[in-house]
Amino acid sequence: MPPKQILVIDDENDIQEVARLSMQLTENWTVLSANGGAAGALLALSSEPDAILLDVMMPGMDGPCTLRVLQQQGVTIPVIFLTAKVQPADRQTFMQLGVKGIISKPFDPLTLGRQIREMLAWQ
Amino acid sequence: MLTCTTTVLLACAGFVLQDVIDVRNDLNDDLEALGSMIAANSNAALTFGDHKTALDVLSALRTRTSVFAGCIYNDRGLPFVAYFNGPPVALPARFPINADGFVQGDGRVELFRTIALDGKRVGYLYIASDLRELHTRMKEDAQFISIILLVCLIVAFVLSSKLQRSISEPIVELAAVAAQVSREKDFSVRVGHRNMGDSNEIGNLMAGFNNMLAEIEQRDRKLTVHQAALVTTVAERTSELTRANEELLIAKNAAEKTAAVNAQLARESALILNSATDGILGIGLDNRPAFANPSAVRMLRMRMEDFDGKTIHEAIHHSRADGTAFPEEDCANTITMRGGAPIGMVDDTFWRGDGTSFPVEYSSTPMLDETGDHIGAVVVFRDVTERRAIETLKSEFVSTVSHELRTPLTSIRGALGLLSSGLLGPVADKGQRMLEIAVANTDRLVRLINDILDIERIESGRVELTRSVVDAQAVVDQAREGLQSMADAEGIRIVAEPFAATLWGDSDRVIQMLTNLIGNAIKFSPANTTVTLSGSAGATEFTFCVADEGRGVPEDKLASIFQRFNQVDTSDSRAKGGSGLGLAICQSIVTAHGGRIWAEKNEPAGTRVQFTIPLARPSAVSVINSVPQDAVAERGVPSVLVVEDDIDLARVMTTSLQGLGLRTFHTASGCEALRLCEQQEPNLIVLDLGLPDVDGFAVVKSLRKRPALRHVPLLVYSALDLGSADQSRLRLGTTEFLTKSRCSPTDFEAHVIRLLGTVTTVKDSQNAA
Repeated sequence: MPPKQILVIDDENDIQEVARLSMQLTENWTVLSANGGAAGALLALSSEPDAILLDVMMPGMDGPCTLRVLQQQGVTIPVIFLTAKVQPADRQTFMQLGVKGIISKPFDPLTLGRQIREMLAWQ
Repeated sequence: MLTCTTTVLLACAGFVLQDVIDVRNDLNDDLEALGSMIAANSNAALTFGDHKTALDVLSALRTRTSVFAGCIYNDRGLPFVAYFNGPPVALPARFPINADGFVQGDGRVELFRTIALDGKRVGYLYIASDLRELHTRMKEDAQFISIILLVCLIVAFVLSSKLQRSISEPIVELAAVAAQVSREKDFSVRVGHRNMGDSNEIGNLMAGFNNMLAEIEQRDRKLTVHQAALVTTVAERTSELTRANEELLIAKNAAEKTAAVNAQLARESALILNSATDGILGIGLDNRPAFANPSAVRMLRMRMEDFDGKTIHEAIHHSRADGTAFPEEDCANTITMRGGAPIGMVDDTFWRGDGTSFPVEYSSTPMLDETGDHIGAVVVFRDVTERRAIETLKSEFVSTVSHELRTPLTSIRGALGLLSSGLLGPVADKGQRMLEIAVANTDRLVRLINDILDIERIESGRVELTRSVVDAQAVVDQAREGLQSMADAEGIRIVAEPFAATLWGDSDRVIQMLTNLIGNAIKFSPANTTVTLSGSAGATEFTFCVADEGRGVPEDKLASIFQRFNQVDTSDSRAKGGSGLGLAICQSIVTAHGGRIWAEKNEPAGTRVQFTIPLARPSAVSVINSVPQDAVAERGVPSVLVVEDDIDLARVMTTSLQGLGLRTFHTASGCEALRLCEQQEPNLIVLDLGLPDVDGFAVVKSLRKRPALRHVPLLVYSALDLGSADQSRLRLGTTEFLTKSRCSPTDFEAHVIRLLGTVTTVKDSQNAA
């Protein structure tokens, strides 16, 4: 099975890098990253990753907006929100948007990959 | 006596008159007979001129002493023979011819008669008689009468004096007694008994009089008694009246005082109303404002006259916050006006007289008069523009800070985590130790931020308690499981009693509290000690107890440990990696559940922390355990469709509804809900808003398009307080809103019963029509 390809969309380069390193090292996945929603959406359409790790609060196109754009483009790639918003009400709202899961920030770099696998039911 | 005499005299006079007449008649008859006899005997002598015979015949007059003269005249009327008894008297010289009859007068009676022979007048006869006999008779009569009169008078006197005694005397006595009675008003006197035995009229009269007196006396006595009674009664009544009057006076004074107090109260009420900063509107049954206090006038920029006959809704509630029209029939306020329950709205919009609007928090309470009749409503409102702004600011601030802190922390935590994991290459021992410290403190900082957010949310009332029926044993087990490794690492034994209780609470929050408390107990206990978990059920709440054998909490700090950042030893927060907010959060959660939390000294060492959580109502629990599934398939029982994707919550709701004797249908899907509604119109829909396929708003929108379902009562059961705009989008039939975190099973059931009650009423009135 070819390694999974994950797209990380965040407006923080540091976080992109930590997440990328974490998944590369723990899961040996290919990790693409995009700074901001607009760049991320374009990259998602062009690279068709296996999953998208999408930050919620970003300037410009935020997470829900990017997700809607992707959905409108007919993209069916599973999306997981990566967010600092942890209120249950937010979780509920996000889940209604059609994401596969929510990972709160800060995340444990050692278990990030495992969390994603569990959410997407990957082996 | 006079009467008697007069009567007797009159009678005697009658007799005498009769007697005189009789005597005279007898005299005349005698004279007539004498005359006839002489005439018959003398006619021959006369014819033959025989004087002697004639004289003899005429001498027969001697037999009558009263006749004092007689004369026979010849046919020529010349005296033939004459007779005189006594001295001669003058005779008529010539016999009056054709003068047969009597002539009376001058003390005498004269008879003139024709003497006839064989029908041929041969002479005339004259006889004169005096009235001596008559006078004698009259004298005799007078004597007789006098004697009779005298006798009569004597007899009468004797009789009258006799009778007077027997008749007059009693009457006189009667009169005297009557006079005495009338004079002395003494009804006890009686007429003498002398005549009482008599059975005659007088006796009867006496007896009657006495009876009358007796009767009068009796009446008089009764009257006296009555009078006395009357006097007593009057006296009593008078004293009663006097008393009543005094009481009235007292009451009047009291009433005046009360009136004064009331007036004072009314003035104070007016002052309170006038000085209240909240707007207060009194609304009549016609939904029109009847009163507005100065704050209401100021906030609404409308005086009473500006309402201009509009209903309260038309005047200040006509549009939604976004400016779109708000139909009156959708307005909860209107429902209250019509006799509904009090309502409170925390997020609504009122419109001012000048066309601007402001966010408002208000309550509308039915106004009842003394007899409990619904006479209108009182709307108390407050302009929450400023508060909204502050709340928003605070909320934004906390959330921004939280986000802004988390973002760098994410990088730091990630980098440190990767470094300390050794995945990036080996690190020297000391360096590794430093990395671990950095990771632990980053985690601690994250927890601190989480706790600050948590506590802020709980205390601002925005935390969502998702209550359900919770098995105490399950939450204890779950909390214990999560901490077992930590306990093992610290060498602490956790002992738990069986927890046989069912709670009504948010299981995640209860687990959070237990985790917090057990974690604390482990952290502050030396190795080889025991943390004991126990619980006891009261009447309405369950008490959890977490006891450790650690160093304990000084007694003066037992209460203050639940305050924020208030640790017994400030060095603990660094040593044990706590935020100092754990117990404060516990307190917030317990308070949100309606419970209490406290700490006490544990014997012989350590601390016992206890907290209470409400018990689930027995009916709900027993229904879960005992109601067979097919028992709800009866027809004719009101049916409730529960649309809820949280299966546990749905189960709690359906068992609660079944406990009320209702049929229930459940689905987690909005589309399925629409399908079920079309199959069979439910009597009530309980709708959650967040559904996996279509949300509650879409479900209501679709239901509204179906005429048969447009008026089904709806209970919206949402996680959040809804604004009025959202609420109006969700209205179906009679619609009520429940916020999950603020709703107890009793509330839920009360809403269901009320909504089903309105259905019954509406259907009844339709049938009647």
